Amino acid sequence: MSTEFYWRLPTHGCHSSIRRHSIDRGDWSATDAHHIAPGLDAAGQSDGHSYIDHLAQIAKAAESVGFLGGLIPSFPNTDDPWVISPLLARETKAFRFMIAYQPGFGNPVHFARASASLQRATGGRSLFNIITGGGGHAQLWWGDSFDHDDRYGRTSEWLDVFRGVWQNEDFSYNGRFYQVENGGLPAHFRTEEFPDLWFSGSSEAALQVAARHADYYLSWLEPFDQLADKFARVKARTAALGGEQKVSVRVDLVARKTEEEAWADVRQGFENVAERTREQWRGNRGDSVGAARLASLKPTEARHWEDLIIAPNLWSGFSLLRGGPAIGIVGSYEQCAERLDDLIRLGANGFILAGTPHLEEAWRVGEEVLPLLGHQAGALLEAAE
Amino acid sequence: MIDVYWQLDPAAEPWRGEPALRPSLPELVRDLRRPTQNRYDFYAQVATAAEQTGFDGLFVAHRRQSDDSRIIAAALAREVPRLRLLAEFPASVGSAVYAAKQATTFQRGAQGRLEWAIAPDADAPTRAAEGDFVADEDLAERKAEFLTVARGVHGTPGFTFKGKHFEVENGGFTDPLTRGAFPLVVLQGSSEEDLEVSARLAHLHLFDTRSSAQLASLIEGLDALANAAGRRVGFGLHQPVLARQTSAEAERDFARSTLPETTLVGSFDEVAESLAQLVSLGLDRLVLSADQQLEGAYALGQHLLPRLRARLSVTPRAAA
Repeated sequence: MSTEFYWRLPTHGCHSSIRRHSIDRGDWSATDAHHIAPGLDAAGQSDGHSYIDHLAQIAKAAESVGFLGGLIPSFPNTDDPWVISPLLARETKAFRFMIAYQPGFGNPVHFARASASLQRATGGRSLFNIITGGGGHAQLWWGDSFDHDDRYGRTSEWLDVFRGVWQNEDFSYNGRFYQVENGGLPAHFRTEEFPDLWFSGSSEAALQVAARHADYYLSWLEPFDQLADKFARVKARTAALGGEQKVSVRVDLVARKTEEEAWADVRQGFENVAERTREQWRGNRGDSVGAARLASLKPTEARHWEDLIIAPNLWSGFSLLRGGPAIGIVGSYEQCAERLDDLIRLGANGFILAGTPHLEEAWRVGEEVLPLLGHQAGALLEAAE
Repeated sequence: MIDVYWQLDPAAEPWRGEPALRPSLPELVRDLRRPTQNRYDFYAQVATAAEQTGFDGLFVAHRRQSDDSRIIAAALAREVPRLRLLAEFPASVGSAVYAAKQATTFQRGAQGRLEWAIAPDADAPTRAAEGDFVADEDLAERKAEFLTVARGVHGTPGFTFKGKHFEVENGGFTDPLTRGAFPLVVLQGSSEEDLEVSARLAHLHLFDTRSSAQLASLIEGLDALANAAGRRVGFGLHQPVLARQTSAEAERDFARSTLPETTLVGSFDEVAESLAQLVSLGLDRLVLSADQQLEGAYALGQHLLPRLRARLSVTPRAAA
């Protein structure tokens, strides 16, 4: 059985180096001479490029080196994946757009038609990372006042309707949150492939909904033993419903020719973190259970970069270097491949990988790490069978 | 000078570019078309035709039996770098905050060329099939709240709103998302409620084809409502057109077409004259449509638009 590898499109700008923290790709910071997309022309005016031009470069890099596509995250101050995907649809060839989406934000019948429209525009190259929200302040910012467990109930019903109108000519539904009378997509839309659903969420409510709807259960990287437990719980829950759950991991890499070079970059990145950044990351996390699980690692309290090495090649300070999960993989190309192989042995069926800067690292990881996978031959093949 | 838009109707001529519906070729003809060639290539041809023949924008109509207008508009945006893209969709799409957020990305990626046309509400059974159970009497209020929230979160830090249909607390987008302008808002309809909402919230009101007298009276009425609200609303007309070299050819082709009775039929000169007269009633924009979307863009762009613009440049609009 083959394993799915996706990359990521950074939707909040990108850094030209993991060592520094200024967002110099995109317009999330003031445009200076070092910026691109937009940059400055000789007269000091905007050169007319916008950030989508850079995202197009990353998507083309990812598809060139063999990634299936990329996760397109969505947060209050990011660009939006439902728009990025069609903007790039016609200039990419194979890249699959993994849209991060909170189902409560749209009418499920309308979004089913929009999703099928996107499948038609791309030749079936879209899929979803279904998220249900970190909650707290952010949900009200989005105009959403549902409680945490209610939101998962709503996600489940939303997906029932989304799938129902896609797969039935005449679909009716009478749920707590959604009702439909005699709906259904047009006939030539229903033949479009229903998009894969990657599903995030660590709470009890989330796991229940994942068991019912997810093609891939997606977790951030956690210490391997914890992750193995989590995978086992998800698989057991889905098995109880008579299904087989595929699981996947989202993880950043710092992959270099030698392990020393990789740690040197991490060390520089760590030492360049301002105290203000640490304060920010200590801030309000909302009611996300996944965020709380990782926050107990407390990367913001560390004084030395080595304190955050939690296992061979695993470093838990990534959240200090850029937004997102704390734990990532640091090492030589061979070591990075070995750790990914370890995760495949733990049961991972898919990955969302990333590195900073996303464009150059897509080429590096694609050319230097992916070709080494599966070389710890025997054990790996057995695990996959 | 007025703006002239071309209509892309995703449901019209459904066989064109559609792999399952296009005419199949006999075995005699070696056919190497790929599955990746599809309906969007046809949409792109129509849009490019409109851009190359001098239209100012593309109106992408809302058709529930075909592709979503905002997906189409985004898929075409980078291929037609100049056209403005007026995407029509109903106020039932979901969260107004999310719709506004999607618009910020579109504006940033397409140099601010997105415009919104809110589609007329469907009848109650159709709305129920789309999971929308807002009562008839609440539809105008829902549309107004949708636009109020969408515009509010775009431009107002800490925006808070609690209405019947939408609720936001301490919302509002921040830099750089708000660097692009909020999309120009186009509303439609001719009921009193429609006009009242437009007076408060539309940048431009798009009327359907009707007699000059009716159009003049609607424009006058909405202008007065907008003035009372301290605003100015632009006016547009959605007009099907069938124009040929001669009026005889036009009449012949009209008899063969499925175009509505309200279509302007005639020679290029005759139709240009009729449109110029309509424009003089106070129009800022025309949205033209034809039964053949690709060929029509060329015929009208090449032969009608120059005649229309020549007339309008010597006969400035009466009302202003």
